[in-house]
Amino acid sequence: METKKSFGVRMLIPILTAVFGIVFLFLGLTQYGFWHELRGPLPGFFPTLVGIVLVIISALALFQSFKDPARPVPMENWLPAVGALGIILGTLVFGMLFSIIAFLIIWIRYYEKYSWKTTITTTLILVAIVVGVFMFWLQVPFPKGLILDAFAY
Amino acid sequence: MENLFLLLDGFQVVFTLQNVLVTLLGAVLGLIVGAMPGVGSLAGVALLLPLTYRFNPTTAIIMLGALYYSNMYGGSFSAILLNIPGDTPAVMTALDGYPMAMKRKRPGQALFTSNISSFVGGLIGMLILTFMGPALADLGLKFGPAEMTALLLVAMTSIGWLVGKNPTKGVVLTLVGILIATMGMDTLTGSPRYNFGSMYLLGGIPFTPFVIGSVGFAQVLKLVSEKNNKVEAHLEEKLTIKGSLLTRHELRRLLPPALRSGFLGTFVGVLPGAGATTGSFLGYALQKSFKSEEELGTGAIEGVAACEAANNAAAAGSFAPLLALGIPGSGTGAVLLGGLMMWGLNPGPLLFSTQPDFCWGLISSLFLANLLTLMIALLIIPFLIKILTVPIKLMIPAITVICIVGAYSTSNSMYGVLVMFVSGVLGFVLDRNGYSTAPMLLSFVLAPLLESNMRKAFIISRGSIGIFFDKPISLVLMLILFAIILTPIVRGVVTKIQGSKG
Repeated sequence: METKKSFGVRMLIPILTAVFGIVFLFLGLTQYGFWHELRGPLPGFFPTLVGIVLVIISALALFQSFKDPARPVPMENWLPAVGALGIILGTLVFGMLFSIIAFLIIWIRYYEKYSWKTTITTTLILVAIVVGVFMFWLQVPFPKGLILDAFAY
Repeated sequence: MENLFLLLDGFQVVFTLQNVLVTLLGAVLGLIVGAMPGVGSLAGVALLLPLTYRFNPTTAIIMLGALYYSNMYGGSFSAILLNIPGDTPAVMTALDGYPMAMKRKRPGQALFTSNISSFVGGLIGMLILTFMGPALADLGLKFGPAEMTALLLVAMTSIGWLVGKNPTKGVVLTLVGILIATMGMDTLTGSPRYNFGSMYLLGGIPFTPFVIGSVGFAQVLKLVSEKNNKVEAHLEEKLTIKGSLLTRHELRRLLPPALRSGFLGTFVGVLPGAGATTGSFLGYALQKSFKSEEELGTGAIEGVAACEAANNAAAAGSFAPLLALGIPGSGTGAVLLGGLMMWGLNPGPLLFSTQPDFCWGLISSLFLANLLTLMIALLIIPFLIKILTVPIKLMIPAITVICIVGAYSTSNSMYGVLVMFVSGVLGFVLDRNGYSTAPMLLSFVLAPLLESNMRKAFIISRGSIGIFFDKPISLVLMLILFAIILTPIVRGVVTKIQGSKG
């Protein structure tokens, strides 16, 4: 477990924002240009200035972060992200609608241990919203996935 | 007087069947999403943003306005019935709303007080907006690039400085938001910039998936920690509309604090970074200096009325700088501004003269939304418990799906979903470590305006920084900027010195 003094995400964040600032600063100066004698500020001007300030403020945030208490994230908090990643990957193969239905059933029935009645009711309501609002009303063409696309040709 | 005629013209724009229905839909959805504990107005507006794609710009913005405004009503419901504020402005409502519902056993009356006060506060805010909006735009017309740069710096810094507990972290994310916004194309020359060779990044980071992710999906990851909290309302009687009505005496008690807070909240709402939460807090603090029939904090009608009127007035008041200067007062305002820009509208001093139909249509739609939201808020009182007690365990997969589908629908490509996913994960990690994402959203929206004005100012001055101090308006704004930056630093040093002496 992360303690108050050990290195953790709270210190990593200002380090990464400083790196982010340095990248923008470096590219601004070397690739996009800072100032032109006649044309004035070039495309790299503004991001370079912001990059410099970000590096300074990130250093201050890093210094302050040593006083912050560690707040580790329980593994369970990442499960919706795993689920969302599952839908994204599933969409490529099985299509978005099928992946969403599979996610809802797995989550509600097998992870949260709700009854089949609640699982099916909730899934049907959500699928009705997705199909009704997004597919029919907003006319969003949902990806069908490799398998259905293969059948289509 | 002229403004009232223009407002009436605005009503002509609003009173089409489609616009009235859309206002109604926005009011219902905003109310429900705002009422759900743990979702909040920022995530609510972000999640519902894709629904506006079907309409023409005016109708879409009318819907967004209704969504934003009705969200403010909804936040108080869970604060009163469950002691769980739906959003931060409702924290103050819980102080008297929950005791009124539970100790005094008057939950219906607490809801009624909250709804009527919200209506009164909102109405005052909208009336002031009607007169102040164009006046503010006239003032804005006097602003050149230097003044606009200074104003934008004040807005960004104050929000970065005021939102969240640590000002340094707020400023870090403000700057990160600006840099993210510079990716894609240079706003002045149109040349590619910071796209790292990616065709997708050439168009920049898309706004809606970015907002849905950093607010909506991050909220889902956060909700997992709360999923085992049981959401129960311990009411002894069923809620009915008839049983919730206030007596004439109670209405008389409600009005003075609602009117006072309405005026106060509106002016707080105009200030960048202050917003509905500060409005609600100050409204309650103001009421403390006046007499209340029951002691504040024990379930007093005056307490509920003061903070609810103030936060709705602040929500209405924040439209004045948003429309007239293009500067939102909060994270939710930033989402709204992003929505306006998505529809090709550029809020700022010229908007009232170049797009009067749109401006006055939007303002009059807020009046309509206020009335419709009040009616719906009163009508749904009997069903509130059902809405509020939807288990978080079911909300997690539901919001996840809405985030994915919403992000996909903005670009009809999986790129939007990926942006949503990455910004959601990062938003959660940042929030967990005390970095509020609201300043990042605000700076992301305002960065192109800041950059173009700053570069124009430097072109005019040929690189001299003196342009920001030459004219009175920009000089005053720069002094305000330095005061905002220096105040917490000086306060911190003074506290340390006093601590070491003590």
